[in-house]
Amino acid sequence: MDPAPVRYAIRIHGHLGAAVLSAFPALVAQHLGADTVLTGLLDRSALFGVLAEVDALGLELLEISQLTPQRRSPKSGDSC
Amino acid sequence: MAPAAPHLIDRGDLLAALDRAAARKVTIISAPAGSGKTSLLRAWAYRSDQPHRFAVLQVQRDQRDAQQFWLALLTAVRHASGTASRGEAPAATPDFHERAMVDRVLSELAGHRGRLILVIDDLHELTSPEALAQLTRLLTNLPGNVHAVLTTRRDLPLRLHQLRLAGELAEIRAADLRFTERETRELLDASGIALSEAGATRLHQRTEGWAAGLRLAVISLAGHPDPERFVAEFSGSDRTVAEYLIAEMLDRQPDEVQQLLLRTSLLDRVNGELADLLTGRPGSEGILLELEDANAFVISLDPERTWFRYHHLFADLLRLELRRVLPEEVPVLHQRAAGWFIEHGQIVDAVRHTQAAGDWPGAARLLADHSFSLTLDGQTQTIQALLQAFPPGAGHPELALVHATVDLAQGRLGEAAAHLAVAETYTETAPPDRQRRLHVAVASLKLSLARRRGHFAGVLEQAKFLASPVSGQSDEDIALSSDLRVMALMNLGIVEAWSLGLPQAERHLREGAVLARRIGRPYLEVACLAQLGFASKIRPFAITRRRCQEAIALADRYGWGAEPIVAPALVTLAANSVWTGEFDEGERWLQRTERALQTDTGPGIRLLVHVASGMLQAGRGRRHEALEEFTAAEHLQSQLQGSHALANQVTGWLLATQARVGLPGEARASLAALDDERAGSGEMGNARAVICLAEGNPAAALVAVQDALDGTAPVIGYVTLVETHLLAGLAHRDLGDQRAANQAAEHALGLAEPDRLVLPFVMTGVENLLEALPRHATAHAALLTDILDVVHGLSLAAKVQSSLAQTEELSPSELRVLRYLPTNLSRPEIANELSVSVNTVNTHVRNIYAKLQARDRFSAVRRARELRLLSAGPMR
Repeated sequence: MDPAPVRYAIRIHGHLGAAVLSAFPALVAQHLGADTVLTGLLDRSALFGVLAEVDALGLELLEISQLTPQRRSPKSGDSC
Repeated sequence: MAPAAPHLIDRGDLLAALDRAAARKVTIISAPAGSGKTSLLRAWAYRSDQPHRFAVLQVQRDQRDAQQFWLALLTAVRHASGTASRGEAPAATPDFHERAMVDRVLSELAGHRGRLILVIDDLHELTSPEALAQLTRLLTNLPGNVHAVLTTRRDLPLRLHQLRLAGELAEIRAADLRFTERETRELLDASGIALSEAGATRLHQRTEGWAAGLRLAVISLAGHPDPERFVAEFSGSDRTVAEYLIAEMLDRQPDEVQQLLLRTSLLDRVNGELADLLTGRPGSEGILLELEDANAFVISLDPERTWFRYHHLFADLLRLELRRVLPEEVPVLHQRAAGWFIEHGQIVDAVRHTQAAGDWPGAARLLADHSFSLTLDGQTQTIQALLQAFPPGAGHPELALVHATVDLAQGRLGEAAAHLAVAETYTETAPPDRQRRLHVAVASLKLSLARRRGHFAGVLEQAKFLASPVSGQSDEDIALSSDLRVMALMNLGIVEAWSLGLPQAERHLREGAVLARRIGRPYLEVACLAQLGFASKIRPFAITRRRCQEAIALADRYGWGAEPIVAPALVTLAANSVWTGEFDEGERWLQRTERALQTDTGPGIRLLVHVASGMLQAGRGRRHEALEEFTAAEHLQSQLQGSHALANQVTGWLLATQARVGLPGEARASLAALDDERAGSGEMGNARAVICLAEGNPAAALVAVQDALDGTAPVIGYVTLVETHLLAGLAHRDLGDQRAANQAAEHALGLAEPDRLVLPFVMTGVENLLEALPRHATAHAALLTDILDVVHGLSLAAKVQSSLAQTEELSPSELRVLRYLPTNLSRPEIANELSVSVNTVNTHVRNIYAKLQARDRFSAVRRARELRLLSAGPMR
């Protein structure tokens, strides 16, 4: 398991307002059509913290992707 | 759980699904926030034709404390069963045994008549892994009359495969909870909202049937001048459903309602007073009630509707909005809330809000002041969670004290000592207004630590601060220091009992118990009384027995009868029973002690258990088993720092038993290795005598016991001397002096009479000695008979504890005559023995028969035995 922070893109349905965005201070928001994409550098704990917040605020999660290619031989169990 | 508010529709299909599911064991409702789980459950529970009783627990936000969770569950079950008023309310304790607690819940559930529905709402908030594991056990072992319903936002690691395979698990998921288009229309109709078919469809599509979204929409739509336009705008917006609708809902509220909702959103729960404080305006209670009536996500928590909370989703969004529009207010609001909680003694909430306000030093001080009391409240895990919330940089030195308290509570003694050292260093340089409290706290913790480690000398040193008066301080000071004071008294008393300062021990333990009762700390009261039972062990046995039973009865009342704190009383009672030859009863008490000692509670109490077990085995003639127990006790003894009261007894019995099983050489070698002080004690003299007798040297045995007989050798108590006389008796017999042997035996019986000791006679193997004693010439015939019964393997029936109140008390002179009744002395002979007239004896005997309701000598003696009158303690 890699402890170092990784760049993630998290796609949420709908446009997030200022109040809800403030729940994700480590992430930058971009509108993509009817969705919002939150991007940022997150280690594993932070990632699951973000997911918990998405759950708590009743947001609809569409997609999570890792943006930075990690290493040549991908370890199993670490892709999202 | 309050009844469902109006305007919610009857979701018949789902209710029917719940009914069907209730035939199985467990239903899990797993769906995201705002899916309508709680509303559905409420509708189901309060349905007019609902026959079953409900026990409902809503798990607190971020519940990491397993004990708090189980206590709340137990309380809910008791409430539903109607047993809430029976016995004491379950209370949190510093020693928490999760398994035992779950067993308690299971038995409470099993005792419920009729079907019970156990609801655990918001289970995802339970973050304690141990609690989840035990919950799995609870669910797989539910009694047949109980059905459990769990709601959660995400699937949990509950291993319920067994139930699933057996078809005993029902699941309801998000897709099932979504409102259909038809249900959406029903909802609109029920709320009196006039919307076209197209409009309703659009609303349904936009919200995707999400319950929270629909409810929010309905709030805004009700009374809206142009519902179609609202829906059109809503559909056209890209904003997330929740945000859009909450914003709309808020806009529609009068300013005071908006302010109330925003400002109180940072609380986990709110009442009118608190809300007024945060809004700076009166009238909050009315607003809250109205909001609940309008079904606007405000829920009351008690039947009187004084406390409320908001739906979590709603509160979370409001909190974010608050931060956005009134950022500078947020820390102020937290501080105000903290102040209110401090005033109302709710320290955990106060600390949380102080932390949230960013006042780390303030939070540290609060926590440091109260962490001890909180551990006594059984909130150790909560304290740990609060500790973890401090950012690494803000390591305020007072936190060392908190760490030490938690370490101590959880048995990490080395770490506790390290943290205490840090705390102590800080105390010297702390601001003067903090110094006194910190000083007291540090001293108390050091005392607890010293006692746990068996550093007896250290304890006595630390107890100096107890001399300073408690008056002249603020009420809060007194309250805080009272907890510490009780613990200090208890620890001091324990140590004094162990180091033989017995009168002081009793005084301190009694003082501790009285103070504990006064400040409402029943757990500590039980602890002090149990230790007092142990400390009384050299008192007349009747007193010891009574004190132990008092402690155990109090513990049982609170449901702590199987907790380690009551172990000292249990084991003392066990030993007590064994001393008087009641081996079966002693064994029962020992078993109960073993059950109470599930976790390791240190060498001290385990030592006592081994000693009592050794005594029991010896009493039953199982010498090898006795040797094992005494050896184990000796081993534990060596782990204690500093000598303890029973040390010589343990070693003495160990050596004697070694000699008796045919290892006199080993015993002698160990004896030689002892220091002079120990070697010169009466107990060692006895051991030496046993060794000599085993080696066939009665003359040397007599020499060995001489000092004890003279009174020049120190003894732990008179029980040692009983053995001493018996050993002298055996030596005399072996040397051919039967008269001296009889005299010695008589002496021993005389000493043993008041408490009716049987064990020393059995252990020392004096059967022949006793049988040689002329029966008619002894004043202790009854005791002698009992001893011989035990020696011959007849167990003494457990004495019936008929209350003495049924019989009038016998006077001392009557008791003296009573003692002769078991013999075959005639009345003139008894009169002669007592140097009174025959008439006097006749009068006494008449009274004795009357008071004991006996017709003859035989039944009088039997009744006297039942009432333990033949050992009534010291003659007054």
